[in-house]
Amino acid sequence: MKPAAFDYEAPETVEEAVALLGAHGDRAKVLAGGQSLVPLMNMRLARPEVVVDINRIRSLDYLTADAGVLAFGALCRQRAAERSAAVARLCPLLGDALALVGHAQIRNRGTVVGSLAHADPAAELCAVLAALGGTVTAVGPGGARSIPAEDLFVSYLTTSLDPRELVTEARFPALPRGAGWAWKEISRRHGDFALAGVGVVLAVRGGTVAHARIALIGVGPTAVRASRAERSLVGAAPSDGLWEDAADAVRSEVEPDADIHASAEYRRHVAGVLTRRALVEAATRARDAA
Amino acid sequence: MRLEGTNTLPAPVETVWRTINDPDALRGCTPGLTDLSPTGPGTYAAMLTIGIAAVKGTYKGTLTITDKREPTHYKIILEGSGGSGFMRGEGTIDLEADGDATRVKWTGDMQIGGLIAGVGQRMLGGVGKMLIGQFFKCLEQRLGPGA
Repeated sequence: MKPAAFDYEAPETVEEAVALLGAHGDRAKVLAGGQSLVPLMNMRLARPEVVVDINRIRSLDYLTADAGVLAFGALCRQRAAERSAAVARLCPLLGDALALVGHAQIRNRGTVVGSLAHADPAAELCAVLAALGGTVTAVGPGGARSIPAEDLFVSYLTTSLDPRELVTEARFPALPRGAGWAWKEISRRHGDFALAGVGVVLAVRGGTVAHARIALIGVGPTAVRASRAERSLVGAAPSDGLWEDAADAVRSEVEPDADIHASAEYRRHVAGVLTRRALVEAATRARDAA
Repeated sequence: MRLEGTNTLPAPVETVWRTINDPDALRGCTPGLTDLSPTGPGTYAAMLTIGIAAVKGTYKGTLTITDKREPTHYKIILEGSGGSGFMRGEGTIDLEADGDATRVKWTGDMQIGGLIAGVGQRMLGGVGKMLIGQFFKCLEQRLGPGA
């Protein structure tokens, strides 16, 4: 379990890192926490010619909460985010999802941004970013740009990032005031990749649903928003029947694939069950702010 | 791993048949196929680089086209191995006229083993489907208006 030979670079500024990525393009990979990249390299499934280790760029190690947005620098570890009081206060959905990312040892090294850039179809953080309408900031040879979640995730492990770009920050908007939330997932063993999972945000005003977000993992090539199910909720009065209908809408709009762990039918069914449970839980947490 | 699907291509059956028997078209449209050279009637030596993101593998193998029933049916057999695993696949293609267009019904049964299967199991089916989708999109462009 040793990686194929590679050149190692350890830039100390974002500019140096971007220059290195600009020079090496898709022959290079960025190393942050290394919790996905290093196993792939050790098994020699990934053989980057150059590893650009960004761990010495101290300016990227931050977590800030400003104007209702949580910003995570590219070196902010998942464990730091999970234990942050600001995350618990502004975005408990993210905190709940983080607790299910791998195991504690993985989260001690793994970064919030790294998980998003890796874009695993079963990664919790991708769904949370999609559910909240968050963005990432990428810096490349042409400068910095902000990429919304819906434009970021393209397919299995594939994003719209250019290989010459470095993601420097992820931005997660806070939940709307008084909104309820829930994260539900099912996996074969604790810490495994989820067979299916769902994050829900629900706000109720004057007895009807004012805001609904549903995003799922494990049921397609990327994390997906269930927009039809979301639309079926907004404007309706909370009830068991409403949650059941939204769960049915989710089942009809996801297109899961089968693998050795679960059939497509099973994943579709479970996606609905988890959605209903998440909606019930989110509704009990939502404070009617009318 | 079994996959199947139906795609419609904007050309008559005879044209589609010629295209899917044309090594140039196959080379141009099969994602990751870097080399396809004939070694006998209906058999080719193939070099395939498939992967997603940083996970890429190069496979060397043979591609055989058999059971031809011109102009509507053939069977395709693909065998290959590389550093990260091996694969063996069998598929059938059936063409059916649909007005001026052609409906292509395809099935595939792939066995993938070795490291890549152990680690990539979760995504193999989906990636396979994605690659076949790219293949048909490319054929569609080749056969579409202005082609």
